Amino acid sequence: MYRAPSRRKAKKEFVKPNLIPILDAVFIFIFFLLMSANFVKIYEIPSDVPIISDAEPPPNQKPLALTLKISASYIEIQTGVPARTYTRIGKAADGFYDLEKLHSTLIDLKNRNLKEETAIFEPIVDLTYEEIVKIMDATRELRNTDPALFAKDKDGVEMRLKALFPKIIFGNIQS
Amino acid sequence: MRSARSIRNRGRKRKSQVFDLDITSLLDILVIMLVFLLQSTNSTGIILTVPKDVELPVSSSATPSNEGIVVQVSPTNIWVEDKEVLNMDGDIRSQMDQGGRRLIPLFNELVKRKELIKRSAKSSPQAQDFGGIVNLVVDKTVKYSFVKKLLYTCAEAGFKEYKFVVMGLEQ
Repeated sequence: MYRAPSRRKAKKEFVKPNLIPILDAVFIFIFFLLMSANFVKIYEIPSDVPIISDAEPPPNQKPLALTLKISASYIEIQTGVPARTYTRIGKAADGFYDLEKLHSTLIDLKNRNLKEETAIFEPIVDLTYEEIVKIMDATRELRNTDPALFAKDKDGVEMRLKALFPKIIFGNIQS
Repeated sequence: MRSARSIRNRGRKRKSQVFDLDITSLLDILVIMLVFLLQSTNSTGIILTVPKDVELPVSSSATPSNEGIVVQVSPTNIWVEDKEVLNMDGDIRSQMDQGGRRLIPLFNELVKRKELIKRSAKSSPQAQDFGGIVNLVVDKTVKYSFVKKLLYTCAEAGFKEYKFVVMGLEQ
């Protein structure tokens, strides 16, 4: 049987778009966008409203009642009820309060009162908000370079403390 | 080639070629973007607006921000949730009471917001109850004498917890 010779079909060429220059451009755009973006990490410093209580403290338990009175030339650390001056922290060479000395003094106090978490701030001088935040940081945070402090939790297991005096209360907002 | 041309293979259909696209470089870009986005993501889901004339102080605090009513304070303005409540360009003594301790427009707005949250919590079980938290977005140059007024006003309006919003150290 005769079969007509088949016509060879020409191979269809598939068009492959060259995306490389477009992707190069997109990559450069992304690089610029990421460089110009401002990824702001926002955190917070918690503080409670002061509450005046006339309740007696539990017997056989002396509260630390840590108070920081911030005056123009020094920070006076007061402890106990009624308040007694523990020490005064002057200013450093840069003209601001010696926050390193304040921090080490507070570590010493924390070491002797491991369960205490509250510090009362009473700024007498008109500081800026930024300066108050710096003093709050020195009071609240335990740095990695600080000596390790351990306290027993409710199950009796010794846990490393992560903060110094994390609860800050402004005691003189009514004045 | 020879086998394709051979008589044996005549009449067999050629396999249709699949249109393949090289997406390797595209995936490279997507991976880089993913890393940056994961690094900058905010897992709390809370959006805080910082007005352009408010510069936040830097702090070593690492506590993530919480829910609550946002009060933004610049040296010249006070906003509550982006609504301007007080302009301090002129004399603001008339805007204060209780011996200059309470800022009346701020107090009124905070009380209004508190009542609104309480009402919606009553009407809808899905709505969050009033937590008594106020997020304070305060410019770093504002003096303590004014911060004290803010704290007093918030406490008078029924807020029992302040959250001072600060910028992380690694900026």
